[in-house]
Amino acid sequence: MNIVVLVKSAVDEAELRADTAGHPVLKGAATKMSNFDMNGVEEAVKQKESNGGTVIVVTLGGAEAKKAIKEAMAMGGTRAVHVLAEPPDAPDSLGTAYFLAKAIKRLGEVDLVVCSEGASDTYQGQVGAMVAEFLDMPFLAYAKKVETEAGRIKCEQGFEGGVRVLEAKLPAVVSVVSEANVPRYPTLLQVMVAGRKAIEDITMASLKGDDYPETGMEVLDITLQSANRKRVLLDGSPEEASRKLVEALRREGVL
Amino acid sequence: MKLFGAEQERVLGSLYGAEAAEVYGALLRSLSVVLEEKVAPLSLALDQGKEEIDKPRRVLFEQGVCKLPHASEFGGMGLPFGVYALAMELAGAADASTAMSLGIHNTVADAVERFGSPEQKKRLLPALLSGKKLAAFALTEPSSGSDARAMHTSAVWDGSQYVIDGSKMFITNAGEADVYLVFAATATGHGAFLVEGANPGLKVGRALKEKLGMRGSRTAEVRLVKCQVSADALLGKEGAGFEQAKQLLDSSRIVMGMICVGIARAAYGKALAYAKGRELFRKKLADMQLTREKLAAAAIETSAARLLCMHAARLKEAGKPFSSEAAQGKVLATEMAVRTCDAAVQLFGGYGYTSDDVHRHLRDARLLTIGEGASEVLRMLIASQELERES
Repeated sequence: MNIVVLVKSAVDEAELRADTAGHPVLKGAATKMSNFDMNGVEEAVKQKESNGGTVIVVTLGGAEAKKAIKEAMAMGGTRAVHVLAEPPDAPDSLGTAYFLAKAIKRLGEVDLVVCSEGASDTYQGQVGAMVAEFLDMPFLAYAKKVETEAGRIKCEQGFEGGVRVLEAKLPAVVSVVSEANVPRYPTLLQVMVAGRKAIEDITMASLKGDDYPETGMEVLDITLQSANRKRVLLDGSPEEASRKLVEALRREGVL
Repeated sequence: MKLFGAEQERVLGSLYGAEAAEVYGALLRSLSVVLEEKVAPLSLALDQGKEEIDKPRRVLFEQGVCKLPHASEFGGMGLPFGVYALAMELAGAADASTAMSLGIHNTVADAVERFGSPEQKKRLLPALLSGKKLAAFALTEPSSGSDARAMHTSAVWDGSQYVIDGSKMFITNAGEADVYLVFAATATGHGAFLVEGANPGLKVGRALKEKLGMRGSRTAEVRLVKCQVSADALLGKEGAGFEQAKQLLDSSRIVMGMICVGIARAAYGKALAYAKGRELFRKKLADMQLTREKLAAAAIETSAARLLCMHAARLKEAGKPFSSEAAQGKVLATEMAVRTCDAAVQLFGGYGYTSDDVHRHLRDARLLTIGEGASEVLRMLIASQELERES
């Protein structure tokens, strides 16, 4: 089974800082593979382990995306393709999906494309569906369980109060949620081996055709929400402190 | 707390160059994620005796931390010793007891790799590096710690085997270990013997639970009573044992120093976060001049200790003498950790004095100014090497 997994290098939100105007300081910010993509990679590797075949890691991003690719490779990727896109030339979601789909088409026969529900930094959740459209494949979204057998894919999709079961013929694109699996921790040896594997670089120019969708969606502004903590210390015996805590939570409308 | 950050990345870059630093950085970043998620959350419970050390230690084994500095022939990764030392800093920050237990175990693996016969290497190294077997280092005795040469434990060749008698004290991993590296006086000096944990002549005393710190690790006395081992238990040549111990401890001191850098960072990280939030006199604690002096001192000393230990590691990698630098690094790092962890307790005030999660770092650090070469003995070693250099 030839499996493609889409990953994104995202800003490490744990280390994100805001400037005085509340804008995130993106220049020089630490990056890593988007947290949700760990579930995508895990699912792809699980499918490879049960069906045999390969897992090709595909990403679009700047030079920093190599780090995310290597993280995915350490988890079990067979090879990797990097569509180079340095800001300010990095495309919007539709453009990203276009280039990813073009890169996937170059890989030859692909049975399954796995992605996650969205990126941990922007969480737009658009690219997977758009890639499916460009590849003319069915899109099974938000899967919490994935099974593949005899050229078909079956997924469980959770919704509030129930489960929807979907089935489609392969090839298909599936997006997985974090319930789908528990991502593995690669060993240090796997990380080292992944670090030495070659990554195929592709330019956007080599993929761009007359069919490129010029949508030009722009992100005008990003501000971070700040939450001021109240830091209330409750003293007294455990009983007194518990009573005060309940009163304080009631005052805040939590209880 | 992020265990691997920009400060370690910069150290890697300056010591190993950009290309290698990227590879090593990826390894250590990956390790730090696992340590943050699977080891650090157990650390307080380990200190309180509510969790067993095997669980976090297994995580480190599974990750392959022990494999980092050893040759690939027997399952190692063949990476520079400094990368292993930095990994042990991260492990020390996640949980000091686990890091120390693993570090001592790996000193025995180091002994087998350096001094072992091909058969001993084949038999033991893969199992030690993967964690299938756990090891203990048995040098200290009830009446000889720093003065190891004065050991009373003896190994007598009876014509067909060695018979070891004596007592070893404060042995980390005692009772859990599958193999003990036992140092004993022989007819020709000292010898190091690989004694199986299951040997009926090896008896483990009760665990020393009254320890000030490092409460997650197991420490006990090991007694050797007519302990019979065959000739192939001897590591290297008979008579070379004391020299072997000295060489092993030189490397181990770098590791213990780096564990202390990790301990200091754990305490410092907590104190820094607290100082940013705690208000008094209508100011943040972090905005007080005397607080800033403490924070700056901790940052300066942590960096200095890390760099001195890493300098010793680089000398070792280059095959140059590093005994004095390793001792200097250990003295600086362990004493720095005690000062930094004490400053953290001070910044937390009453909450620091009454919270296991703050004062445990101070208690943990305190051991390492004593174990693996007490500060006073290491100062003697450093001074004697300085005097030799000058003459």
